[in-house]
Amino acid sequence: MSEAATPLDLERLLADALRPIEPPEDLATRMETTLASIAEGAAAELSSWADEFSEGELQALRDPRNWVRPVAAVAVGGAAAGALVLVGMRQRRKSSGLRDTAEQLLRDIRP
Amino acid sequence: MSTEEEDGGTQAPAEAPAPSKAELDRAFEDLYRDHLRDVYSYAYYRVGNHHDAEDLTEQAFLQAYRHFERARRESNGRPLRPWLIRIAHNLASNYHRDRARRPTAALDAVEPPSHPHATERVVEGREELREVIDHLEELPDDRREALIMRFALGMSNREIARALGRTDGATKVLIHRAIKQLEELMSPEADDE
Repeated sequence: MSEAATPLDLERLLADALRPIEPPEDLATRMETTLASIAEGAAAELSSWADEFSEGELQALRDPRNWVRPVAAVAVGGAAAGALVLVGMRQRRKSSGLRDTAEQLLRDIRP
Repeated sequence: MSTEEEDGGTQAPAEAPAPSKAELDRAFEDLYRDHLRDVYSYAYYRVGNHHDAEDLTEQAFLQAYRHFERARRESNGRPLRPWLIRIAHNLASNYHRDRARRPTAALDAVEPPSHPHATERVVEGREELREVIDHLEELPDDRREALIMRFALGMSNREIARALGRTDGATKVLIHRAIKQLEELMSPEADDE
């Protein structure tokens, strides 16, 4: 047989030896069920995520008039943080002034 | 044999709106129906038994489903079969690695398909096919895999190149060498050795 195995014959033999294999019927059914359950699971996951907010809450979130409070809160918080930084700087400046005063006092009391 | 051209396909519009979940599911269903046999055939020739081939096929499609949207977006309208086969290819490699088996052992269990010919020709034909399958086992993994893709799945050189992550030229050479080596293995001189 091998003598007849010219390149062309070999390709024919390979095509015969490696024929496509039909998947079993139940694999197709099982796969479709699995994929459908994954798709349903994903949809359920999305809807339960959305359910965590009530309809009223979702509507309130969408209303730009309700965005004023968070923006104001951020602005007030920012201002407070700035004020804290200023107070800190002044305190540091104050402490160096005290040191200066003490040094001045020492210089004054020295003969 | 399929001569499906991939890169000649129409390009997806750059600013196409994102598909809905339902559209994606429908597209995946089409992909699944069109290529279930391809993935199963590839899995069967890699693992050599129906049970593991079913598992591998199932895993391949589940993995494909997870990354389908991105694959579709990045494919620019090219067929997704090479991507699917690449997933199956990687899973089959993991399968053999996990079991510390040589992939070649898989083909031992493959039965040559029967033919609707006269009885004596069937016997003779089956012997020939058994010989082809036996010699396929002697090929290096990449050569054998390329031949499975070409002959069991009818993939073009370009598709095989994409599935194996090689260039078109390297794939052409790979297949040529695979056939040449198989030819040598089946020659009378090789039988005498």
